Amino acid sequence: MTLEQFTREEGQVARRYEYEDSTVMAVDFGTEEADASVDVVDGTVIVVLADDQYEIELPETAENAHTFMKNGVLTVELEEEL
Amino acid sequence: MKLTVKPLKQKDAGRGLAAIDRVSMNELDLENGDYIVIKGKGDSQAVARVWPGYPEDEGRGIVRIDGRLRQEADVGIDDNVTIEPADVKPATSVTVALPQNLRIRGDIGPLVRDKLSGQAVTEGQTVPFSLSFGPMASSGQSVPLKIASTSPSGTVVITDSTSIEISETPAEQVQSGGGASAEGVPNVAYEDIGGLDDELDQVREMIELPMRHPELFQQLGIEPPKGVLLHGPPGTGKTLMAKAVANEIDAHFETISGPEIMSKYYGESEEQLREVFEEAEENAPSIIFIDELDSIAAKREEAGGDVERRVVAQLLSLMDGLEERGRVTVIAATNRVDAIDPALRRGGRFDREIEIGVPDKEGRKEILQVHTRGMPLHEGIDLDQYAESTHGFVGADLESLARESAMNALRRIRPELDLESEEIDADVLDSLEVSERDFKEALKGIQPSAMREVFVEVPDVTWNDVGGLGETKEQLRETIQWPLDYPEVFEQMDMQAAKGVLMYGPPGTGKTLLAKAVANEAQSNFISIKGPELLNKYVGESEKGVREVFEKARSNAPTVIFFDEIDSIAGERGQRQGDSGVGERVVSQLLTELDGLEELEDVVVIATTNRPDLIDSALLRPGRLDRHVHVPVPDEDARKAIFDVHTRNKPLAESVDLEWLASRTDGYVGADIEAVCREASMAASREFINSVDPEDMDDTIGNVRISREHFETALEEVNPSVAPETREQYEDLEEEFQQAEPGQDEQLGRTFQ
Repeated sequence: MTLEQFTREEGQVARRYEYEDSTVMAVDFGTEEADASVDVVDGTVIVVLADDQYEIELPETAENAHTFMKNGVLTVELEEEL
Repeated sequence: MKLTVKPLKQKDAGRGLAAIDRVSMNELDLENGDYIVIKGKGDSQAVARVWPGYPEDEGRGIVRIDGRLRQEADVGIDDNVTIEPADVKPATSVTVALPQNLRIRGDIGPLVRDKLSGQAVTEGQTVPFSLSFGPMASSGQSVPLKIASTSPSGTVVITDSTSIEISETPAEQVQSGGGASAEGVPNVAYEDIGGLDDELDQVREMIELPMRHPELFQQLGIEPPKGVLLHGPPGTGKTLMAKAVANEIDAHFETISGPEIMSKYYGESEEQLREVFEEAEENAPSIIFIDELDSIAAKREEAGGDVERRVVAQLLSLMDGLEERGRVTVIAATNRVDAIDPALRRGGRFDREIEIGVPDKEGRKEILQVHTRGMPLHEGIDLDQYAESTHGFVGADLESLARESAMNALRRIRPELDLESEEIDADVLDSLEVSERDFKEALKGIQPSAMREVFVEVPDVTWNDVGGLGETKEQLRETIQWPLDYPEVFEQMDMQAAKGVLMYGPPGTGKTLLAKAVANEAQSNFISIKGPELLNKYVGESEKGVREVFEKARSNAPTVIFFDEIDSIAGERGQRQGDSGVGERVVSQLLTELDGLEELEDVVVIATTNRPDLIDSALLRPGRLDRHVHVPVPDEDARKAIFDVHTRNKPLAESVDLEWLASRTDGYVGADIEAVCREASMAASREFINSVDPEDMDDTIGNVRISREHFETALEEVNPSVAPETREQYEDLEEEFQQAEPGQDEQLGRTFQ
């Protein structure tokens, strides 16, 4: 699912912010799951929590996706296409 | 690093997040999700996780935190705070103390851990813990948990492996670091107000600025504002806003609730007013909040007694008398702004009047977010959808929607509860969840409060229930649904939505049914006016009725107003004077309401009549009832569709052919066709009941069919209600409407007589 669907369907707080030079998407999973991991495979962000797995598709235009996860906050940074 | 505090958006509140703008984030070398310590006044500090800053804040040195964090750090909006990256260790064990009056049985340790998991806490901190159940749930409050001790010490984060111990000593006895909030100051943060951002800004500008920086006003050489009057329909949040302002500003707060100051002794009512103002002055800067201002400051010429007049006069002189009032600001709230003495409504007394209106969709969403924040919602619930379908709901209505939904959830688990026992099992608490169905059920029972007087149950009729009339349906949809569904198209084409639709046609063709379908499908509020009910025996009251209808419609937009049989109240003017002109004045009122100086926004009028020739021509011109829709006598195809609708759930025999029925019913209108179907079913029932033993009825009832013969009988009994001449007359009329100005229908009128 894309981020928009993800925001609607899951209970998480997920936001998308458009900055001048990039787009940042942030999802708060809450800090219950301490050992979460995140990976990007073929334009899909895969988040693995203790017993859940979420897949979020990135927009097709996104090339340089930079993702990291810290204390339950997932951040996806997309460089804007020039 | 010093940053300025701003409020967080409502939807992000309550998760311990701090949105820091990106430039500051880079300088501090922080990443999203890092823990930070927010240091406010004195020793107060709060711990939060970093959240990406809002794009509009970029480079402005802003940290956005919610009311809870602000309270923990003891800072207000626009204050400066110091932000430092925090060194947070995972906690191995934490001891919490519960308030004394909380009675819960069982081990609530896991529950506390689940709820608090991920939160960073320090010793001595009070953590609001939302149980969404138990003795404090009804008030929407959360239970204050006190962190008695932590291991390791310092700021720790609670994880799944932290062991939670419940302290034996209740929270009240644990030594607390920060003082509790001052007596009498309500516990409402700016984030608890949804959908009133602009209004809130105005109020803050009027009140916070002069309190914090009076020198600004000295420099400009002006007196700071003295008072704000909040007005708007009941339940929109006037009192809440005043509470929030009082809470967020560190000012002394006095309330006067209108009738309270009244005393039976001579002069004492005024005395009490003076006392409140004196008290406020001594504790300046302070805020005086007068709730229900209209009750003590009604117009003097209308006020009943001497006392009332003197109280108003006292209030006037206190607000703007010879004596300087100093740094005392007055906030007043009322929902009857017109009833207030005009002398109060000038500069120097209430400098600004702020209208708190009925919230729009965005506002409603924010309000719902506020009220469902502490609620364990089922995953599938989409608040957007509820925001959209709650036109005309004010904050109070939405609050009761949220509360009713939660009560429904409660009702579901009630059988499992043992009300006899003193305490409630923690497992049961944990299993509470508000589901989609709870919300739907609650929505059925709640009506927008502003609409109570004129509210009608929206009929359960869909376009599907209207047979035939394809073109008419399309026209109605274009006029009523499109402007609401595709506002962007209307904007792009610079097009105004039509204000009204007149449906005319012979009796029984389905005009009212169409209106019902519109009401149901348009997702708007629906007000139905049966023409003659507006008339009243008192002079001026009938016109007032019309005015009130439109006012209600405006304040609850989008609204569809439906006038059934409009010819009864909108007859041609200048014809007769038998009723001393009431009819004419009602028509004039209608005309001005539909197309007057005041804009009708998102209000559509639908009117029906069988005598369009009798309606005042001014009402029919563009800009008023600008679309004229002829609801014709159905042709054969349409009749087939109508038969289909009416026989959809009836057990028909094989031999009954709808095309045959349609061909046999030339001149029948929708109502006639309904009658035919009813008669046919009646004939079949008659046959069945007379021939079958009552005892066998249950077994054989499934075999009853309505046969062709039954329809034959019915057709003989029901005759077409519209004669061919009548139909022709309406067709002439339609032509007339299409080509000429409807004013010149003198000749046409005669065809009817």
